[in-house]
Amino acid sequence: MILAATILALAAPAATQPAGGRTQEPQNDWTVWAAKVHTAAGDTLDGALVQVTGGAIASVTPMAEPPEDVALRAAVLTPGMIDASIRLTAGSRSVEQSSEQVARLSIVDALDPLDEAWAGQARRGVTAGVVCPPDFAVIGGLGAVMRTAGPVDRRLVAEEVCLRGAIGTQPSLGNNMGFGVPGNFYVRRPTTRMGVEWVWRKSLYEAAYSRDDPERAFEGSDVLNRALSGELPVSIQAWTTQDIRTAVFLKEEMAREGFGELDLILDAAAEAWREPDLLVRVGASVVLPPFTPTGRTADGALFPLECPRELHDLGIPIALSAHGDGSPTESLALQAGLAMRGGLPFDAALEAVTIAPARMYGVDDRLGSIEVGKDADLVLWNGTPFEPTSRVVGVLVHGELIVDPRESAADSRDP
Amino acid sequence: MRVTLPAPSKPSRTLRAGAAALALTLAVHGAAASDSFAVRGAVVVVAPGQVVENGVVWIENGKVRAVGPDVEVPEGTPVVEHDGYVTPGLVAFGSSDGLEGETFDSTRSMLPAASIADAVNLSHRGFDALCRAGITTVVLSPSVDALAGGSTAVVKTAGNRMLTRDAHFALSFDSAALDRERFPTSYGAAVDELDRLVESGEGRFAAVAGGDLPVLMAVSARHEALRAARWARRHGLRGAVMGGDLTGELADELAAAGLAAVVAPMAPGQPARSLDAMMALNAANVPLALMAGTPAHHPDDLRLTAAMCLREGLARNAAWRMLTAGAARIAGVGGSVGTLAEGRDADLVLWSGDPLELSSTVEAVYVDGVSALGGER
Repeated sequence: MILAATILALAAPAATQPAGGRTQEPQNDWTVWAAKVHTAAGDTLDGALVQVTGGAIASVTPMAEPPEDVALRAAVLTPGMIDASIRLTAGSRSVEQSSEQVARLSIVDALDPLDEAWAGQARRGVTAGVVCPPDFAVIGGLGAVMRTAGPVDRRLVAEEVCLRGAIGTQPSLGNNMGFGVPGNFYVRRPTTRMGVEWVWRKSLYEAAYSRDDPERAFEGSDVLNRALSGELPVSIQAWTTQDIRTAVFLKEEMAREGFGELDLILDAAAEAWREPDLLVRVGASVVLPPFTPTGRTADGALFPLECPRELHDLGIPIALSAHGDGSPTESLALQAGLAMRGGLPFDAALEAVTIAPARMYGVDDRLGSIEVGKDADLVLWNGTPFEPTSRVVGVLVHGELIVDPRESAADSRDP
Repeated sequence: MRVTLPAPSKPSRTLRAGAAALALTLAVHGAAASDSFAVRGAVVVVAPGQVVENGVVWIENGKVRAVGPDVEVPEGTPVVEHDGYVTPGLVAFGSSDGLEGETFDSTRSMLPAASIADAVNLSHRGFDALCRAGITTVVLSPSVDALAGGSTAVVKTAGNRMLTRDAHFALSFDSAALDRERFPTSYGAAVDELDRLVESGEGRFAAVAGGDLPVLMAVSARHEALRAARWARRHGLRGAVMGGDLTGELADELAAAGLAAVVAPMAPGQPARSLDAMMALNAANVPLALMAGTPAHHPDDLRLTAAMCLREGLARNAAWRMLTAGAARIAGVGGSVGTLAEGRDADLVLWSGDPLELSSTVEAVYVDGVSALGGER
């Protein structure tokens, strides 16, 4: 047997190919000057230079005129906006529905960071969002704070920022079995508001009992106990008055039983204005849903433009949300503008889309204001923020330039 | 193509009609003869990057005994003369060809001990279409409806032969695994459950965690591929992701996880972005194989895909690797199929011309040294 001695390599020489395609390290050192800088940390500076180094804010220096070599400039600079309930998920596949209580499951593994909607949010000045499991389960798991742009493996700001669940109709919608035997996997779930609330109470009671009796521990009981201890905020969707009341009473019942003090955040609490005393009484925070054309939201809740102002006047911490909506008429900036039309002062509106949600979800050490040491999430505006005539002309996320103001310079105008 | 007894001569197409008559004769008289013959081709592609002009493949007992330009076959050995290309049979990852009965279990998402081999009818005529397209080896995998569907199997498309019934451990990161009325319904719970099983090393998961059994992770959307790559990397698993038109956009993630990619072939009308994604996999040196199998893909799309990649600048040997040796390696059968090296299975395709030119046709297919289509032996 003679094997080929002359084996011809007819193969073409290795073609020139793009170099590996590795994600390039983003440039995240910048100088930014704006004629007006709203820090959301209590200051508004008439002219300031913000130095960004390694993705973080290195210095904030009052400066009336821009230095000649400044890289980026704009009329107004604010912190990146944070949507307190961004809702960019893979829908029903982002929450486990084989059980009503799946407290231990994190949203992080169930997201689609490649969804273009995130990039759309970044372009509109929303640099981070609180994202939670959708409310198809009663207690749906753990929420997280995600950046809207930048390398996929660096989007996560903080995981396990809250335990998420719902009170009201959403977890029970469509669960009515009609007549006869259950013919569907989902019909064992609660079919009423009362049933939904019962799952909350049962879960929290059983978790509390399991503290002294490890035999009674169950999947998620550790997470529920972290919530009961107040260590982990509890974000509960409650649109209407009766659902808000139910959530507040749940918190009070847990305290009364000696189980602990829930750090309660009422999400989408459109009718919070109807029971402000209750909210003050228990010290709950409120995340408001997007405004609607009719003033009615999901679950038929009534949500007037004045709601944010009324809550603010009572000292109730509020955050605004566009629910991650990407359309220009539903943006988070517009929500702030509408809240201002309802009487909310500018500074409070700014806080409600920046530092307030950061505080609620425990990431205010990194996000939410223009302060030295915080992540450089910045929005450059061509005019007064939240005015419908103003535009976002520049965006930095963790120091990475997502929208370049130099490309929109022609549109900028003096404040 | 013609057969000469005994001595080889210059390839010629002039004796085709006569060859047919001779083939009949051989069929009658050759039955008891030695299981040895040779194929001489104008061009023999031995392996990716190894091409021999006027080469001979000597086949004995279903294996390649020798290959090269100067192979001396014993006196009396029949020689099939072919004036086109001789290549190894193509290797692809199939969907459901040859499977009979239900292939998913609507009540259970976890069937880790199941084996798709139990559902295969090796003489199913569904394999014929693959064979006719020059695909001689195909990986069959459990339905993507199962989170853990059990073992994949590697079979020949002719000759009733199964190479292995335990090539990979099939997992599904595809949303299809979530859309049944059973646990899990969410990506989060699916990952959580797989984490738990790999960490606990329950049953078949021990072999997976120990690296003895590669995973084959079904995906469709890009974020599913991302999730699968991250998950496998977290647990240090080896294997491949399978599916998705744009999986290649995550080439860096796959490369970082050390995973291979099995992707859908290009079909007429598919957007350029899919091709760019496939090229990105090549650029990132991610081992690549293609899917075949009805009804989702036309078997000829394998060659179409390789040809399109070639046009985009892919090296010819890389294109071949994707269709043959590379795919065989991902399938875990690189020692048996994918090249015509000595000792490998005698799976040969005789093409009228360069197989990466779409006008070329399959003239004969041999599987394990036996004519499956059109051959004289």
